[in-house]
Amino acid sequence: MKLKIKNLTHDYDVNVFRDLNLELDGYQSIGIIGVSGSGKSTLLRIMSGLEQPNGGTVEINDRSVKDPFYRKTVGFVFQTHTLFPHLTLKENITLVLEKTRDIERHEASTIAEKNLERLQLLDQAHKLPKNVSGGQAQRASIARALSVNPDVVFLDEPTSSLDPILTHEVLSSIEDLKNLGKDFVFVTHVISFVRDFADYVLFMHEGNIAEHGAPSILDDPQTDALKNFMHKVR
Amino acid sequence: MNRSLSYLTSIAIFVAFAVFVALRQRSPFNPDAVLGYQNLILEGFINTIIVSVIALIGSVILGFVMFLLSASNVRFFKAFVDVFTEIIYGTPLLVMIIVMAFLIGPAFNSFNRPVLGVIGIIIYITPYMTNVYKSVFKSIPDEQYMAMDLFGFTGYQKYRYIIIPQVLRMLMPPFMNNFSLIIKGSALLNVLSFHELFFTVSIFQTRTFAYSEGYILMWILYIIITIPLSQMTKYVERRWSLE
Repeated sequence: MKLKIKNLTHDYDVNVFRDLNLELDGYQSIGIIGVSGSGKSTLLRIMSGLEQPNGGTVEINDRSVKDPFYRKTVGFVFQTHTLFPHLTLKENITLVLEKTRDIERHEASTIAEKNLERLQLLDQAHKLPKNVSGGQAQRASIARALSVNPDVVFLDEPTSSLDPILTHEVLSSIEDLKNLGKDFVFVTHVISFVRDFADYVLFMHEGNIAEHGAPSILDDPQTDALKNFMHKVR
Repeated sequence: MNRSLSYLTSIAIFVAFAVFVALRQRSPFNPDAVLGYQNLILEGFINTIIVSVIALIGSVILGFVMFLLSASNVRFFKAFVDVFTEIIYGTPLLVMIIVMAFLIGPAFNSFNRPVLGVIGIIIYITPYMTNVYKSVFKSIPDEQYMAMDLFGFTGYQKYRYIIIPQVLRMLMPPFMNNFSLIIKGSALLNVLSFHELFFTVSIFQTRTFAYSEGYILMWILYIIITIPLSQMTKYVERRWSLE
C-alpha cells in the first residue's frame, strides 16, 4: 500500500491534528495504536474517506481519499458489527452487492457464500444478527467488508465490544486473511495482535504520530509517550 | 407453582372477585336482562372498534407529519410541534373531546359531534405517535448510517431496503399499545351521545334498570378487545425484535 499524508489538519473531540505528514510505501498491514483520544480512530476514518479532513491531503495508492470513487475501493469494519439487523448474515452481503455494485443475484449469492466461508460462517448464513454471537456478527461484518472486493480494509477497534474469548476468535480470523492480497489498516488495543498482524505501526499521541516504524518499535520505544503506553498495556 | 398454574390461579382470583361484587349488588343479578338488547350492544361494540381504527390511522398519519416537522431544520416547525405536544400532554382526553366537539368544531361551522370527537382523539394521541417515531428512528445507530454511506447506498435505497423495513418492525408494538389506549379512550365519546360501547350499554341500562349487569358486560367487552391485543403486541414484540 502507498500512503501519503500531507499537512493534515483536523479538529476532533478535544484534540487537533496539526500538520501531520507521513509517507509509506510497500506495507501491507498498518496498525495504529495509542490511548483513547489520541486521534487513532479519527486518522483511520479520514484515511478511509469516512470523515473529511479540515485541511491537507491524504492519498492512498495515489488516489485522494476525497475522491468519491475511492470509497468504492475500501472496506470498513466498525467497533460494533453494524450489520443490518433485519437481514440474515448472507442477505447483509447480497443486498450490498446487488444494490451498490450492480451484481446480479446469483453471483452475489456466490460471493456472499465464499466470504462467509472464509470467516467460517457458512453454517450461520441464514441466521439474523440477533441469533448469532457477537464474535460471529463481527466476523460477518468483516465478510461483508471483504465481499465488495476492496483494495484496503479498515478496521476500527473491531473487538472493543467483545469479551476476551470472542476477541481472540475475531482476531485470529482476521490473521487468516493475511494472504488475501488486500491491504489492512487497523486500530486496536490488543498489542499482541499488532505484533502478529502489522508490518508497520503508527503510535498516536495527543493528535500526533509520535512514533512509527516496524512492530519492533514496541520493544524499544524511543519516546516517553510510547514507553508509558507500553508499560500500561503490558 | 409452575407458570400456567400461577396464571390460572390469578385469573380465577379476579373472576371470583368479579362474581363476589356482582352478587353483593342490592338488586338480584339477572344476566337475561340483556336479551333483546344484544343488537344494540353489538352495534356499540362494532362502533367502538371502527372509531378506534379510524383514530389509529389518523394519529399514525398525523403523528408522522408532526415527526417530520420536528425533525426538520426549520426552527419554527420544531417549536410548533413542541408547543402542540405540551398543550396536549396537559389536557385530559375528556376535555379534548369536549373542546373539539363544543368549541373548536362550531367555530368552523362543524356540528357533527361524533366526527369531531374522533378528531379530538386523533389529536390527543398524535404527540404519543410522534414520540414513537422519534424513538424508533433514533434507535438506528449512527454507525449503520455510516456503513450505508460507505457502501454507497443512494438515499432512496437506504430507506427502501434498510431503514423502513427495520422501522416498520419496531413501530408495530408501540402502535398496538397506543391502539389499546385509543380503544379505552373512545369510551369517553359517550359524552357526545355517540353510539359506542359505553353509550349503548348505558341505553340498555336505563331501559332495563339492569345496571350491575350492564357494567359487568361493558367491562368484559372492553377486556375482550384489549387483552388479546396486548397479548398480540407481546407476541409481535418477541417475534419481530431485532435485538
